[in-house]
Amino acid sequence: MRRKVTLPLLTVATVGASLFVAVAPASAHGYISSPPSRQANCARGAVANCGDIVYEPQSVEAPKGSTQCNGGGSRFAVLNDNSRNWPAASVGSSVTFNWVLTARHATSTWEYFIGGTKLATFNDGGAQPGATKSHTVSMGGFTGRQTVLARWNIADTVNAFYSCVDVNIGGGGTTPPPTTPPPTTPPPTTPPPTQPTTPPTTQPPAGGTWRAGTAYVPGNVVTYGGASYSCRQAHTALVGWEPPNVPALWSRI
Amino acid sequence: MRGLAVALLVLVALAGCAPAEPAPPPPSFNGADVMFLQMSLDYIRQGEQVVAPAGRRATDPRVRALATELGDQWRSEAVTMQRWLTGWQQPPSADPAAGAHAGHGDPHSLRPADIAELEAARGADFDRTAVSLLLGHLHNCVEVARMEAAGGQYPPARALAGTMTARRQAQIQRLLTLAA
Repeated sequence: MRRKVTLPLLTVATVGASLFVAVAPASAHGYISSPPSRQANCARGAVANCGDIVYEPQSVEAPKGSTQCNGGGSRFAVLNDNSRNWPAASVGSSVTFNWVLTARHATSTWEYFIGGTKLATFNDGGAQPGATKSHTVSMGGFTGRQTVLARWNIADTVNAFYSCVDVNIGGGGTTPPPTTPPPTTPPPTTPPPTQPTTPPTTQPPAGGTWRAGTAYVPGNVVTYGGASYSCRQAHTALVGWEPPNVPALWSRI
Repeated sequence: MRGLAVALLVLVALAGCAPAEPAPPPPSFNGADVMFLQMSLDYIRQGEQVVAPAGRRATDPRVRALATELGDQWRSEAVTMQRWLTGWQQPPSADPAAGAHAGHGDPHSLRPADIAELEAARGADFDRTAVSLLLGHLHNCVEVARMEAAGGQYPPARALAGTMTARRQAQIQRLLTLAA
């Protein structure tokens, strides 16, 4: 009985192992989903003709130490192509980067750079990431359009995972609208409240009316439905995430 | 001399079992087909632990809608997958102790700790955790489906893999829009 079960399983495992070598990357781990990294922009269709990266944005794996968006080598070289007109997320002076993980391997460090300048290192000391992984990183005085390079250094291999995120630092309100239409949204049950006819007497920082598609960071103050709200967590606003609906993101002031 | 003996043995063996009956048809499936179905069923079982709470608890109605849609789609896919495996007399899971490797061993799995983190999260944190877990999960499903498309033999399974890849890619696009 035992033999009967084991043999087919072994066969399957062997076939599977060889297929993985031939077809799939050795292992796939993760990438930055927000603000969208270059591979995330490929995967969500915001940038066209990216090649196979659309199927595996999590697979930009290469030996540690590269400063290229694809980690060096020829695979996924599209990620290094600055002529691609990558959308740049409007961000403040500090940015929260959120990772999507497909395998939670033991981690030595997470590193963030702009150009040759290291912005931050987070040392996990060989621990496995939890369900999610986010880092809030100061942009170190950089302004305008920049490309942030993130490296996830795996503790027990020679490799790292690479993710480049294009940002526009301090460029509030210039986020290009996503080229993909938003997913079907059930219409709100109540029409959005009308905007106030008179602006508040004091203009709060990064103020203005709340608008979907804008990236907000803690400290931003917006008006919506006649009330003012202060941003509690960095995020890019979405229809359905109007300040009164998401107290975790906005507190009324 | 030895070669001749072997040849004779083969002839005898062939003669012994070839009374005009045609050889049985080659199997219509291969190891990649079986592994694709077994791994996909495992992924569906894991993913249900995310879409069930997400369908009830997500703040964003779009997350709830997508979670419900995923659950329905997976249940229908699983029926087909189980039927094929049963027909081929293959076990429904590659792992003799089904579910055991979700907790350790294979890192490409949702761990009980990840599900616990999701269940403990509240409000926008819950939505963000659900979106992040679903994205990672769907990427893993796509990898297995693409492996089938490249190496599978059973045409309906290859077709299912193609459909699964297209559907999950579209769902990944929606989730990435929510994540951004």
